[in-house]
Amino acid sequence: MSISNLLSQYGDRYVQALLTTWKLTAFSFTAAFALGVFITVLRVCPIRPLRSAGDFYVQIFRNIPGAALLILLVYALPYLKILFSYGACVLIATSLIPSAFCSEHLMSGMNTIAPGQIEAARALGLTFFQMIRRIVIPQALRSTVLPMTNLLVATMLTTSLASQVPLRPMELTGLVSYINTRAAGGVAAFAISAALYCATALLIGLAGSLIDKKVRILR
Amino acid sequence: MKPTSIREMLYEPPGPAARKRISILTWLAMAALVVLTALVIRQFAVTGQLDARYWSFFARATTWRFLGEGLLTTLEAAVTGAGIAFALGFLMMRGKLRKNRPLRFISAALIEFTRGVPTLLFIYFFFLVVPQTGWKLSAFWKITLPCAISACGVVAEALRSGVNAVPRGQTEAALSLGLTDTRLFYKVVFPQAIRFVIPSLIAELVIVLKDTTFAYIVTCADLMQNAKVLISNYDAMLSVYLVVAVLYILINYLLNRLSDRLAAGSGRTGAGRSAV
Repeated sequence: MSISNLLSQYGDRYVQALLTTWKLTAFSFTAAFALGVFITVLRVCPIRPLRSAGDFYVQIFRNIPGAALLILLVYALPYLKILFSYGACVLIATSLIPSAFCSEHLMSGMNTIAPGQIEAARALGLTFFQMIRRIVIPQALRSTVLPMTNLLVATMLTTSLASQVPLRPMELTGLVSYINTRAAGGVAAFAISAALYCATALLIGLAGSLIDKKVRILR
Repeated sequence: MKPTSIREMLYEPPGPAARKRISILTWLAMAALVVLTALVIRQFAVTGQLDARYWSFFARATTWRFLGEGLLTTLEAAVTGAGIAFALGFLMMRGKLRKNRPLRFISAALIEFTRGVPTLLFIYFFFLVVPQTGWKLSAFWKITLPCAISACGVVAEALRSGVNAVPRGQTEAALSLGLTDTRLFYKVVFPQAIRFVIPSLIAELVIVLKDTTFAYIVTCADLMQNAKVLISNYDAMLSVYLVVAVLYILINYLLNRLSDRLAAGSGRTGAGRSAV
């Protein structure tokens, strides 16, 4: 099938799939970010068991393959009487994995903060949590815009996991395999999805480097 | 002594009151973690997942031999895929650093393309479209090639950042000695660049290894696929998938540790490491 044929037949579905991919990405990234900040706070707090728990969490979700996590959530957890819908399973998997990487980026962003900042905060009498909230996290975030941009793209790529479960509406990868199993969509069906993915990735990259130029702290 | 990381920097040495507070909170946190673990184990017990029949077959050598065969295929696919990704990435990096405009454009476009498209889409392409063209590929290559293609753009960018990190003086010195462009690159720049990027290349191997988990789509007998056979033999879904997940996590953890150690040794972090 040619691209124009495909577009006239499946055009609306591609639009819907693109929007689904965007929605999944936005939700996963927001959740991953919130979780990542929380885990990072655990990892730097003075209470050792919480620190170790944070480290453990990051090592687990940084190293588990997305497919393995999704399969565990979808097929294995019901044996523990823990049941999630397909959509919830996908969102959990696509949030937990990026959250570990988010925490890693925040940790390395934190390491760019000069020790003098901490000393100054302490001299001003800030409490630990004030210092974390007002000194450490804002600076760590500002120096991690580019890694976070890459993480957003990676999160978008991870949402293709949704094609592994019968989720409706379909996202870009699921739609292509659907079209190809019904009719011979051929190369063109893939090209459209790939172009939409790439365009999104380029847009994210562009926005990221603009924001980075605005907020980066020059040292 | 200067503190080594921000983690140690964040709090000053605690006084007696703070020490007391921290120790109380430490015990509370410990208790909470123990309760959490107990709840998880209880859930296993209540649902009968701790029954011997779900775990006893892990004591048999045949189980591990079978999983080991799968693991070997997984590693083989990951290493082959990473090797191909390195070769392709190298070519794309060379292309992007050339003066020739069209070549530079094509390389840049290929890098953006392979970086912006999910591995699953490449896998489905090799699974659904490639056979229609009459190109007969074994299951092994149907998973290895897409994983390699999806990794090569990232490898190209990592190599490029390594080449850019080599001090300019090296190039100038080599040029003034009368080296040709080719010899300059292979004898002076690249050997130094590769040392910078070895950590990010190992991180990339981890990503390829994770991507090979999708081998079940093309029914290649990797670790995950063999796990499925075990599951149907012993009717033990949860235990087998858990063990396999732990295996994947352990291997990737060790590779990441290796990468961090090499990065610490060369005084550089794994720059350009991409996530997931």
